[in-house]
Amino acid sequence: MTQTVTDAGQAAAGDDQMHVTVLTDRCAGCQECIVRCPAGALSMDSARWVAVADDALCVGCRQCERTCPFSAITVRGPLAVPARVEVARPRPDRPEGDNGEVRPGFGSWDEALAEASRCLDCPDPTCVRGCPAHNDIPAFIRAIRERDLAAAHDVLRLTSVLPDVCSRVCDQAAQCEGACTWSLAGGTPVAIGKLERFVADNAPVPPPAPGPGARAGSGLTVAVVGSGPAGIGAAWHLREAGAAVTVYERDPEPGGLIGWGIPDFTLPPEVASRPWRQLTAAGVRLRCGVEVGPDDLDGLLAEHDAVILAHGAPVPLRLPVSGADLEGVVDATSFLKAGKTALENGSLAGFRQSYGLPGPARRGGERARPMVLVLGAGNTAMDVARTALRLGLRATCVDWVDERFALARPDEIAEARGEGVEIRFLRTVTGLQGEGGRVRRAALAATRQRRAGRRPRVLHGAPELLDVDLVVVAMGYRADPALAGRLPGTPVARQARGLPDRRWAGSGILANPAPSYAHGKPVGRLALGREAGLAASALPFQERVWAAGDALVGPSTVVEAMAQGRRAAASVIAAGPRRGARRAPRHVLVAYESRGGRTARAAGLIARDLRGTGAVVRAMPLAQVTPAELADIDLLVAGTWVEGFVIAGVRAARATRSWLAGLPRLAGLRVAPFCTFAVSPGQALASMRRELEGHGMVVVAEGAFGPRARHIEVQAAGFAAGLRAAAWPAGPRAGAGAP
Amino acid sequence: MTTSHAPAGAGQDETAGPARAVALREPVPIAIRRRPPDASGAAERFAPTDPPRGWDLARYPRVARALRSRRFQFLLILPNQIIFWTVIFVGLLGTTIPGLNFGTAITWYIWFCLVFVLMVVVGRAWCAMCPFGGFAEWIQRRALWQRTQRALGLGLKFPEPLARYGFLLPVATFLLLTWIEEFFNIAGPGTPSATSYMVIGIVSSALIFFLVFERRTFCRYLCPLTALIGTVGSMGSVAGFRTRDRSVCLSCQTKDCMRGGADGFGCPWYTWPGSADSNLACGLCSECYKACPSGNIGLYLQPPLTSVIAPRRRRADVAWAIVLLWGLVLYQQFNATSLYAAIDTWLNTRLGFPHYPDPVAYLGLILAFALVTAGATGLIGRLSARPDARLEAAGNFLDRKTRFRAYFLPLAYGLIPVVGADYFARQLPKFFQHAPRLIPAVEQAAGMAAIHSPLYRVRLLSDPRIVAVQVATIAAGTLAALWSTWRISGRELAAVSRRPVVLRAASLGLVLACGTVAAALYVMINAAD
Repeated sequence: MTQTVTDAGQAAAGDDQMHVTVLTDRCAGCQECIVRCPAGALSMDSARWVAVADDALCVGCRQCERTCPFSAITVRGPLAVPARVEVARPRPDRPEGDNGEVRPGFGSWDEALAEASRCLDCPDPTCVRGCPAHNDIPAFIRAIRERDLAAAHDVLRLTSVLPDVCSRVCDQAAQCEGACTWSLAGGTPVAIGKLERFVADNAPVPPPAPGPGARAGSGLTVAVVGSGPAGIGAAWHLREAGAAVTVYERDPEPGGLIGWGIPDFTLPPEVASRPWRQLTAAGVRLRCGVEVGPDDLDGLLAEHDAVILAHGAPVPLRLPVSGADLEGVVDATSFLKAGKTALENGSLAGFRQSYGLPGPARRGGERARPMVLVLGAGNTAMDVARTALRLGLRATCVDWVDERFALARPDEIAEARGEGVEIRFLRTVTGLQGEGGRVRRAALAATRQRRAGRRPRVLHGAPELLDVDLVVVAMGYRADPALAGRLPGTPVARQARGLPDRRWAGSGILANPAPSYAHGKPVGRLALGREAGLAASALPFQERVWAAGDALVGPSTVVEAMAQGRRAAASVIAAGPRRGARRAPRHVLVAYESRGGRTARAAGLIARDLRGTGAVVRAMPLAQVTPAELADIDLLVAGTWVEGFVIAGVRAARATRSWLAGLPRLAGLRVAPFCTFAVSPGQALASMRRELEGHGMVVVAEGAFGPRARHIEVQAAGFAAGLRAAAWPAGPRAGAGAP
Repeated sequence: MTTSHAPAGAGQDETAGPARAVALREPVPIAIRRRPPDASGAAERFAPTDPPRGWDLARYPRVARALRSRRFQFLLILPNQIIFWTVIFVGLLGTTIPGLNFGTAITWYIWFCLVFVLMVVVGRAWCAMCPFGGFAEWIQRRALWQRTQRALGLGLKFPEPLARYGFLLPVATFLLLTWIEEFFNIAGPGTPSATSYMVIGIVSSALIFFLVFERRTFCRYLCPLTALIGTVGSMGSVAGFRTRDRSVCLSCQTKDCMRGGADGFGCPWYTWPGSADSNLACGLCSECYKACPSGNIGLYLQPPLTSVIAPRRRRADVAWAIVLLWGLVLYQQFNATSLYAAIDTWLNTRLGFPHYPDPVAYLGLILAFALVTAGATGLIGRLSARPDARLEAAGNFLDRKTRFRAYFLPLAYGLIPVVGADYFARQLPKFFQHAPRLIPAVEQAAGMAAIHSPLYRVRLLSDPRIVAVQVATIAAGTLAALWSTWRISGRELAAVSRRPVVLRAASLGLVLACGTVAAALYVMINAAD
C-alpha cells in the first residue's frame, strides 16, 4: 500500500490508519462480510462465532459495511487505492471539420495495467450488476492483468457482442463504474469502460462462432426486424446457436442508431460497422431497404419460425409550438445523418446549402457562423450540437429541465461546453417566428423544476428572442405507433417493483443510493429497473413473436438494447417455436398455491404424469415463480385451492388471484388451470380462465378435484390424461415413464 | 448458475446446485464468486446448544400455519394492547383506591407475577406479546400485521459505542425505573395514576426510539425489562427460532431472515437463527420463520437451563447484568429491614435528600452487592486458576479475556436461577395477598361499587405460608443454580483450574450462599413484620 492515496478526501490528518470495528454484540457470524471481502481481511472466530478483522489487510472499500445485515461492522480510514489513470484528452482548437474521435483510450499497456491493478476483483462484484449486459468485469480485468487479451475477449463475448461500441458510448458512471465498489464507497471507480475499450482496440473482437449450445437453434429460421443494437445482439446469439437468421432493415445501411445516430467523433465508422461486417460474414442474411409494417408481421411469421421485433424507437417527438412547420425546423435524425455524411465526405458547404444556411460571412469584421438552436439537452442533442460545430455552425441547446436532472451524461455536457456549445437549462421554446416561410427567431421562456421527474413549470414573463438560422428538434423519440400496436403494453416501464432480488440486496449495490461518482444517480435502483426490461425481452408478445430494445422499452441505451436482443434470442432458442403444427410441449411448469397440501400433492402427481411425455416438467409454488421461470415454458399448469363460504363466493385463493393478475402477457402460451375444493369449486375455474385468456394464453384443459382425498390420484391422472390429449398433438409417448 | 450462457466463474459459486435438465436462465445471470463460508468448527461449536432435532414445534402443521400467518404476533399483542390502554385510562380516570383500581390491580398483582412465570418457562414470551414495543412497532412499520417495505421514522443504527455495552444499558434503565417506582411507590401499589404515567412513559419512550432507530433497537438495548427477561428467560424451555440445517443457513445467498424478505421482516432483535446459541435475544416474533426462503427455520423447545449452561460464548454484559440485577433484588429485600431504614435516614440527613430511597444508598448497595458477588467469583478464580492458563487481555468490553472474567462470566451465568427465583419470590406476596382483587377491580371499572366485595379481602395464602412458598421458590432456584454451576464449572472451568474439585466446591458454595442470603432475608422481613 505504498501507493496509497486518499480518495474522496476521506483521510484526515492523523486518521490515515485503517480500523475495522466489529460490533460483537450483534455480529451473528453470518459471514456475509467474510464471503464478500475483496481483501480477505475478515475471518471467523469460531469460538465466539463472530467476524474478526485484520486492519493490516483492509483496503477500506466498505463492502463489509454495505453487506452486513445487522450493521455490525464499521470501517474507519481512507480508501487504499491508487489514483485513477487519467488519459489526457487533446482538445482541438477549433472543432470545425475535425471528425476525429474525441475520447482517447489507454495508449499503452502500462496505463491499462496500472488501471487494471485498481480492481479489487470483488468476490460478489457489484459492477457486474451495474452493467446492463452483466459483463463479468472482474474476470476480463483479471485477464488484462495477465496480459491475455484473447482471454479478456472470451469473457466479454459471453455477455456482449459490442465491447468496442459499448466501451465508447455507455454512460459508465451510471452503470458499471457507478456500481464499482470504490464508487459505492465514495471514491473513484476503476475505469471499466476504458479497460474494455483497451481490450477491443488492441485485439480484434471475435466474430460469431458456434458455442457449446451451437446446435440448439439449428433448423430454426428467425426474422429480426431492425439492425440496431438489439437486432445485432439477437442475430449474433441466434447465429451462434445455429439458427438461420434474416434481418430486415428499413435504411439502406445496417446498424440503426449506431450507424447513423452516433457521430464519428464518438464512434468511429470502422467501429460502428464492425458488427455487421462480422454478422454478414457469418451468414446472417441482411435485407436492407425493407420496411416492415404491422401488416407484414403475419407474412414474416408464415416464412419464419419466430420473429424478434427490434425496430427501435425512431419517431421523433413533435415540437408543440407555433412555427414548428417553418422551413429550417428539422429533426435530429435527419440532421445527424446529413451531418455525418457531410463530415465524412468533407462537403461542409454542400451541407449548409442543403439546409438553406448562409455561408460564413463577416459581420462587423468578425466571422459570423450560422446559428443552430437545438431543442433538448440530452445525449442526442449534445451529438447534434457538437456535429453542428464541426460543420462550421454555432450551436445553442435549450432544455426546460434543471441541469441537476439533465438526461445527458455530465461528462458529455462538459465536453460540449468545452468545444463551444452553449447549453441553457431551465429554458424552453414557446414559439418560432419566421420570415418568408423560414425560421428566423425563437422565443424562449424561463422554467422552474424543483425535483427530478417532476414536470418543469413555465414561468410567465417577457420571452427572450434568439436569432436562429436552423432549429433541430432533439427532444426524444418514440416507437412507431403502428408497430407498437402489435406489442400491447409497450413501452415496458424499466422500474424495479416490489422487493428487489435478494441477492442484489445482499451484494450491497443498493446500500449507497446515490454515489457521488454517479452524480447522485441511484445506480442500484436503475440497475434493478433495467432487469425489468431484460425480463420482458425474454417473454413472447404473441405466439412466436418477441421484442427487444427501444421497441420494447422505449428510448434506452445501446448496451441495454443489445442485452435484450441477446435475451430474446436465447428465449427463442429455448422455446424452439415452429411454423405450422404445434409442437409437443418441451418445458412444462406446474405452479400451485396450496394451503393444506392437497393442491401441492395434486400438482406433484400431475407433474409426475406429464414427465412421462418426455417433457421437462417442474413443479413449484406460485410464490417462487419468477419471470425467468416463465420465459422458457410452453405449457403452464396452474393449480390453486379455493376460498369462500361453502358454495357462495367460492373463488381461487387470494394469492392465486393476485399472482394471475400480475402475470406478464404470455401470448399463445398453452395453459391448464385446476383447483381443489371441499364442497364446490364455484367460479374459481371460470375466473382463472378469464384471467389467463386476458393475458393472451390459450386454455387447453381444466379440472376441479373434489374432497375425496383418497381419489386425488385418480382425479389428477384423469386431468393429466386430458391435458396430454389436448396439448400433445400427435399423442405423446403414452405412459412412457409414467407411474 | 448453470445456465447456457453463464459467465465464466459462475460455476465457482459455492451454492451452485446440480445442473438443471434444461437451460432456464437465472433471473440475475451474474458471476458470483463468493468465498465459501467457514463452517469449520460449527458442528462442535453449536452441538451443546442446538436443541434436539425432534423438538421442533413448527413440524406440526397447525403450528406452522399459525407461525406463517402474518397475524400471529398481532393477535398475541392485541389483548395486551387493550388491557394496557385500559390500565392507562382506568388508572387516570378510575377510583383512587389502589386495590380497587383495575390499572394497579392487574399490573402489580397479576401481570408482574405472570411475566416471571412466562420468563422461567418460555423465555421472551412476553416480548412477543408486549404492548409497548408492539404498539411502537405497528407505527414504525405502518401496519398492524402486513409486511410493509418502507418504515416510518429515521431508521438510524444504534451507535456502536453504546451498543457495545449490550445488556448493561437496559440494566441502567431498569435501575432508573425501579428507583422511580420506589420513589413514587408506584408498585406498592400507590396512586393509580402513577401507574398510568409510568405506562405512558414507557410507551412514549418506546415510540420515540422506534421512530428514531431501526428495528427493535429499543427492545434490544433500552427496554427496562429486556435484560431481566433475557437473562432469567434463559432458564426457559423454549429455545426460540433456530436453524434446521446450519449448512443451508451458512450458504444462503439472501439472508432474508436478517434483511427481511417478501413475507417477513428482518429479525427485529438482531438475532440470526443460523448462529443463535441461546434464547437470550430471540423475541419469538416469528419473522425469521416467515421470511426464510428455504423453510429452514423451526421453533424449538430445549431442556430447561440449556441457555444458562450450554452457550460457548459467555458475554461480559450479560454477566454484569446478572450480578447487578442480583444486587437490585437484594436491595429490594434489604430495604425492608430496619438496618436499611437507619442507613437511608442517615444518608438523607447528610445529603439533604428528603425522600426514600436515597440514591446513594440505592446505587451504593446495589453496586456493593454486585461487586461482592463478582468479587467472590474472582476470588474463586484467584484460588483455582492454573498459572499456565492462556488468557488474552486484548479486546473490547464484550470480549476481553482476563483471569477474572474467565471465572466471573460462567459463574455469573450459573447464578441466573437464584436471581430469577428471587425476583419471582418477591412478587409472590402481592399475588397471594391480593390477586382476587382483580375481580372487584373489574367490577369497579364497570361502574359497580365493589369495595364491599368479599373478594377484596380474600387472601390466597397467609403470610407465614407465603414466606414458606418464597423460601421454597428460592430453594428451587438454588437447586437449579447448583445444577447449572456444577455443569458450567465442569465444562468450562475444570480444564483451566489447578484443583477442579475445590473449584466446584467453592462455586457451589457461592450459589448456596446466595440462595441462603435471599431466603434468610425473606424470613427476616416476615419476622420484622
